[in-house]
Parts: sequence; C-alpha cells; structure tokens
Amino acid sequence: MTIRLTVAALLALATPAAADPHPEAQRILSIGGSVTEIVYALGQQDRLIARDTTSSFPAEAQSLPDVGYMRALSPEGVLSVRPDLILSEDGAGPPETIAVLRQADIPFETIPAGTNADGLAAKIEAVANALGVPDAAKAPVADLRADLAALDASALDGDRKRVLFILSLQGGRVMASGTGTAADAMIRLAKADNAIAAFEGYKPLTDEAITAAAPDVIVMMDRGEATGSHDAAYADLLAMPAISTTPAAKAGAVIRMDGLYLLGFGPRTGQAARDLHRAIYGSGHGGA
Amino acid sequence: MVALEADAGRLDGDRAHLGRNIAILLSVLLLSVAILSLGHGASGVSAWTVLIDWMTGQTVDVTDRVVLFDIRLPRLATGILVGASLAVSGAIMQGLFRNPLADPGLLGVSAGAGLGAIAALVMGGLLPPAVAAAAGWHLVSLSAFFGGWIAMLTLYAISTRQGRTSIATMLLAGIALAAMVGAVSGLIVYRATDDQLRDLTFWGLGSLAGASWTKLAAAAPLMLVALAASPLIARGLDGLALGEAMAAHVGIRVQRVKAAAILTAAGATGAAVAISGGIGFVGIVVPHLLRLVAGPRHRWLLINSALLGATVLVGADMISRTIIAPAELPIGIITAMIGGPFFLWVLLSNRRTLDA
Amino acid sequence: MSLVARGLDVDLGKRRVLRGIDLTAPAGQLTAIIGPNGSGKTTLLRCLTGEIAATSGTVFLNGRDTALMRPEDLASVRAVLPQQTTLSFPFTVAEVVSIALTASPTPMADRAGLVRSALSQAGLPGYSGRLYQQLSGGEQQRVQLARALAQVWTPTGRDGPRWLFLDEPVSSLDIAHQMHVMETVQAYARDGGGVIAVMHDLNLTAMFADHVMLMCAGRIVASGTPQDVMTDRNLSDVYNIKIVRNCVPADGIWVLPQAS
Repeated sequence: MTIRLTVAALLALATPAAADPHPEAQRILSIGGSVTEIVYALGQQDRLIARDTTSSFPAEAQSLPDVGYMRALSPEGVLSVRPDLILSEDGAGPPETIAVLRQADIPFETIPAGTNADGLAAKIEAVANALGVPDAAKAPVADLRADLAALDASALDGDRKRVLFILSLQGGRVMASGTGTAADAMIRLAKADNAIAAFEGYKPLTDEAITAAAPDVIVMMDRGEATGSHDAAYADLLAMPAISTTPAAKAGAVIRMDGLYLLGFGPRTGQAARDLHRAIYGSGHGGA
Repeated sequence: MVALEADAGRLDGDRAHLGRNIAILLSVLLLSVAILSLGHGASGVSAWTVLIDWMTGQTVDVTDRVVLFDIRLPRLATGILVGASLAVSGAIMQGLFRNPLADPGLLGVSAGAGLGAIAALVMGGLLPPAVAAAAGWHLVSLSAFFGGWIAMLTLYAISTRQGRTSIATMLLAGIALAAMVGAVSGLIVYRATDDQLRDLTFWGLGSLAGASWTKLAAAAPLMLVALAASPLIARGLDGLALGEAMAAHVGIRVQRVKAAAILTAAGATGAAVAISGGIGFVGIVVPHLLRLVAGPRHRWLLINSALLGATVLVGADMISRTIIAPAELPIGIITAMIGGPFFLWVLLSNRRTLDA
Repeated sequence: MSLVARGLDVDLGKRRVLRGIDLTAPAGQLTAIIGPNGSGKTTLLRCLTGEIAATSGTVFLNGRDTALMRPEDLASVRAVLPQQTTLSFPFTVAEVVSIALTASPTPMADRAGLVRSALSQAGLPGYSGRLYQQLSGGEQQRVQLARALAQVWTPTGRDGPRWLFLDEPVSSLDIAHQMHVMETVQAYARDGGGVIAVMHDLNLTAMFADHVMLMCAGRIVASGTPQDVMTDRNLSDVYNIKIVRNCVPADGIWVLPQAS
C-alpha cells in the first residue's frame, strides 16, 4: 500500500489534482482502455484523435493512431498527434514524459481508478467533467448502478462460491490472482469469494495450494483463441493433477471472459459483473 | 647495429594513418546523423524552421519549442554520450580481459545497475517520503548508478590481493556475483505488481525516451571524464595485449592500467545504464568492427569507438522514435535486431582471419 | 657493470623452486643457463626480470636493486623474450614491435626506422605488414626477438649496458635461423650489452656461450666457461643420462653446424 501511495503522491506532484472541464478540447488523446471506453460511452468519440495500446474497445478505437503502451509513452510521440487535452487512467508514465508534456502546456487530466459502484461512477463522472459534458454521464452511470444494484438484490440459493482466477498457464504453472487485484475486485462484485486470500497480487501457485484452495469455479481471460483450441485447453487444464481434484474440475466449471471486458473497470463493468455472476451461479441469477 | 635503416616513408603494417582517416570520416558521419536526428521525429516539427524563427525573435509555437529544445536536443546529447560511453567501455574491457567478447557486464556493473533499478522500481515506496521526494523520478537512475558501482567495487576488492588484481579471479567472481545479484533481483521481482513488472521489462530494453537536461546534467560529467581519460590508458592496453608479464617488461605499470581501465569503464557504463537502461550490443559490435578495419591498437580504437558508438546510437534512436510513430520501439530492440545479424555477417565473412 | 643476484629463494605456492641462488653475469658476455626440465631455469629468469618476486634475496642490475626500479626505467635497461607469446587481437608485425617502444625515449620520427632495422636483424625484412597470428611459430618467435631488440636497441647507453633476457630463444627455429639468432645476440654481447639466455641445445650453448650456469633442483651446481662446466661428469649427473663430449658415434649420421 505504501508503494501505491508514494507513487500516487509522486504523480500528484506532476499532475493537477482535480479534473478541470475542457469543453473546448477537440483533439483528445485518451490513455487507458477504460477511459477510452468511457469517452465512447459518453458519445464523445468524435473528439478523440489518438489512443494508447491498451485502448482496444470498442473496435473503432483501434483505427485511431496508437501512441504506445501507457506506462512507456514517448514525449514526442504524444506531442506529434497534437492533442489539446490528454485524458489518462492513473499510472501513465514514465514521469519524465509527463513532465515534458506539462512543459508543452497541454492539459493532462488523470482519472482516478475505481473498482466499486461509487468509484466507477466517480470515474465516469470525472471523464464527463473533463470533457465539459457532465450531463452525458447520467445515462451510463445509471445503467452501471442499476446492474450492480440488481446483483446486490439477487439472493443466493446456497453458499457463496469460491473462485480461482488464473492469469496464465505457462508451461503448466498456474499464475493465480491473490487479493488486491482487479480480478479480486471483480470476483467480489460478482458476489463470489476469491479462493486465494493468502497473498497479494498475481503469483505462481504450487499444486498443493490449488488443491487446498478447492475452488468451485475457475475463471480465465479469453485471449481470442479459436474455439477448438479452447476445448483442448479446457481438457488439458482439467487434466492437471492439482486441478483435477478441485470441485471446479469435477463440475467442469471453467469460465472464460474477454480480459478488457472483465477487468477493465469501465462503463461495461456492471454488465460484466452480471455476466460473471450468471456464469458462476448458473442462469436464473443476477436478476436476469 | 646502432645504425637505423633510413626512413623510407610509412612503415608497412602501421595502421595509425587508417585510424586517423577513419576518425575524420566518423566525425563527419556523426555530425550528419546528429543533424538528421534533430530534424526528424514523430511530430514532424522542422528543427530548422523552429531554430530560425527562434533566433530571429519570432514567436515559436510552444509545442514546437518543447519538441526541439526539451525533447530532441537533450535526447541527441544523451544518445551521443551514452553511445560513446558504451562503445569505449566495451573496447576497454576487451583490452583488459584480452578477449574480443568482453563487456562491462563482466565488472558486475550491469547486474548491479539492474538490481538497483529493480529495487527502486519495486521498493522505492518503502523509502522515507522525504528521501523519495528529493530523488523524485530520478530514483531509478540514481539507484541503478549506485548499484553498478557497489557491485564493481565489491568485485574489484574480491579479486585484488596485495595490490595485484587477478583478471581470472575477477571473471569467475563476476559470475558468482551475477548469480547472487540475479537471485536478489528475482526475489524483488517476485514481490512486484503487474505494473511494476511492465516497467522492469521496459527498463531492461533500454530507451532514451526519458532523456532530459536534468538527467543529462547529472550523468554527463562522469561520462565526459571517463571518455576524456580513456586515451590515457591506450598504451597500457596495447601492452596488455601481449600479456600481463610482457606489458610490465615493456615498462607499463600494469596495476595502474588495470585500476584505471576498471574505473573508466565502470564510470562510463554506470552513468550510461543509469540514464538509458539496458542497451546491448553497441559495446561489442562497435570495437570489433573498428579492429577489423584499422587494427587493434587502442589509441585510435578508443577514439573511433566513441565516434562510431555515438553515431550508431543516435541513428538507432532515430529509428526507435520514428518507425512506429507516434509510439516508440525500445532502442535495445533496434540495436540488437540490426547489430545481431550485422555482427554475424562480419564474423562469417572474416572466418578465415579469425581461425588463423 | 653486471647482473648480480644474492641469496635468491623463490617459492611458487608452497613449493620452494629456487634455493640460495648467487650469481654474477657480466655485461659483454653471453651467459647461458642450462639444466634439465624442472630444474628452475625459467623461474630463475622470471625472477631476474622481476616478473615474479623472490621470497628472499636481491637482484642488482647495473648496480641498482631491480625491486626498487620503476617499470619504465627497468624497461629502458632490459628487454625480455618469453618462451611463447599469444596475442589477443590481430596485430600486425609492425604493431607488435612498436608496442615495445611504449617506454622508449626514441623520437616518433625514428621509430619506423627502428622497427625496420629490428625486423631485418631478426631475419624478417618485409614482414612488418603481416598479421602476427598468421605467422608460423618460428616466425612469431623471431618477431618477439625483434621486439626485444627494438626495446634495447643500443647495447650500451650513457647509464651503462643494456640487457637481453631470453627464454629459449631458438626453441622453435630451424637450424639456419638458430645460428642466425645466436650470432645476433652474441654480437649484442660483443658490443657491450649483457645477454642472459635459458638454453636447451647444449651444442649451441657450447658454441656461443661465454659463461654457463648449470642448474639442478633449484640450485646452480656449476658456473664458469663451457669448457669447465660442461664436463662429462657434470652433464651426466645433472641430466641423469650417460653423456660423452667430443666423441663421434660409431655409425648413423649426425648434424653439427659447428663443423662447417
């Protein structure tokens, strides 16, 4: 936590704290997948002129010039698209680049991160404010809150299920999510428990820890492979000795969802949480 | 026997004139690449228009001014110094270890600097806020620099006994030290968050994107001193090529040359790595190429390595800045992608000379 | 003026390799060190040149304690030819020889001439542009001799005689070049310089040496003229094989350059 606070403090030195409205901005560079999604959700996409590598949704966004990965931006690359406003998720860098951008007098608005209903609403409102269209936030925020409220209202038949989020399966080694991650936050939004609470972040898991965690459901990111290879991957995964003993393997409960949809924490997160909830508990839940 | 043969022009096999001509050629080349580099970038700002407007007192667009004076100029200067430092350090290390494949990595500088950078990127937040604020975003560079020096001094202390440094001990101890440093780095990486891991990866690929006047002001003095001092050990390195004993017999103060070579290479590399991350291959390819063309005597080899190293890095940086603009490809990828195949080609076409 | 060693003991690791060596080698003479393998000849030479430090004892060259001399001063008084030199980079012959002039007071303008002269002296005229690594073993050895000669080109200077320390200078050479090299270094001694050579070839030693030191098990067991030192008894004892001087074998052929 200390690390994050200090990094945040350092960034705060480099960027103004509150988002000022920029209704006049017509050449906007959007950095961070969720911020770009929010700009589209607000109907302001015509003002976008460029994006970063993580901004891959909606598909139209991909036709915009790409200024590179959000944590390794090049100053001249950013300046070359001649933005009159830069909207960014928390964590854009490196700090040297941000410092040069400030020298060039280009407004740089950092949108705070949020992983629950209030945080996400604040995020959407912050983007809307920065764009000078505060009213446009009303509809997406209402949709988001409605989705999450529906989840809150839905009653569970039995116990909360234990979910194991697997980030990657390189060489048969399971890289799983502990606490404090986007995946952990999403599991909680979907009214389930993270099966791994022993550590923070994404770490490789020993076989015995998987068995001990006894997940009811396994969630993985969909990286867009062909469907056929999915089935093969399922079979391989469930055949792994450590996995095969888990309730999830016995029930064949493996869920794959698009990474940005699942973990992006943008305007679609309410929908994503409901989808995940339905996938975990079966249809008939999540107020569907 | 006292009578010398009359001087009949230049001595066959003395390649000093080649070295001098190549130095002139490389100076011109470096100047051209530097001018080209100032004029090119993702933003399409014309350096010359801006410069002329600025000098004639006309109003210059703030973005154009920043692009030229705060992005391209410090980046060009950093590229020149870093390229020269890496290539000269490489040449010095190869002379010291009597091996054309040696690089400053053998001194533990790279491993130590890597550990320093990793520690700063992952655990910088554990520092007292006052210290963190004072170091600001230079924390990674500072930490890399000190990491490199601590590793190098440790290695030097381990391999020096009774005032004599054993190069063989240094080589072996360097391997052990690199393994230990690697383990500690691994431990820290294990603690890292996803974002920090991405930062580590990019640091390892090297980039001049973070170049700024502030950083340059901190790192340039050390690189300049090291570069200026390097010609002083040229004769000593020539002597070492005959072996340590032979070098002493022809009147070289071997221990002094070794200490000076290690300090120079570590100083230049430490500063270069600290401000640009891990940029590979320049230190090996550049001196090797120059040896093939003008021979291994260090007087011109060191000067020409500085010139060619600077030219190569400024050129590679220009490619890195423009090839996928507005995004940027880490420069370490460019140097390895161009340097690797080129080096192979040179090796294959010189096979017979090498085997002889 | 001479080379003098007093009470030299040398340990390599825990083993004592030289014991109580006392010797005097005057300038103007060719002094040969002979003895069987492992008797300490090369170690003695390395100790005399300052390459390895003596455990105890002192070496004086032209009256000065070599341990106290600066490397560049030592280099202007004596040159060393080791048994073998491997180069790490592709130097030309001219470059190898000029590296020897690092500490030399020779003006730059005269150096090209000096390198050429030294190469002719070693029987390698026209070799200066060749790559050292592409030469044969014998040619490389003669390049190294040229390098040593160039370093102390004049056999005597204002500050006294110059010295050549040679470790098996003719080991890789054919018989003609053996004779040529031995004549060259003999001439160097005749002109007032000092020459110390570790030798394997007893015939060449007998033919060229003014002074012979016979070594066995880390000691000098005999010292003097070849006539006095290279006796049947001394040689037989030290080399542990029956040796008879000046005796023609009953059959077969033999080759002695001395005879011609």
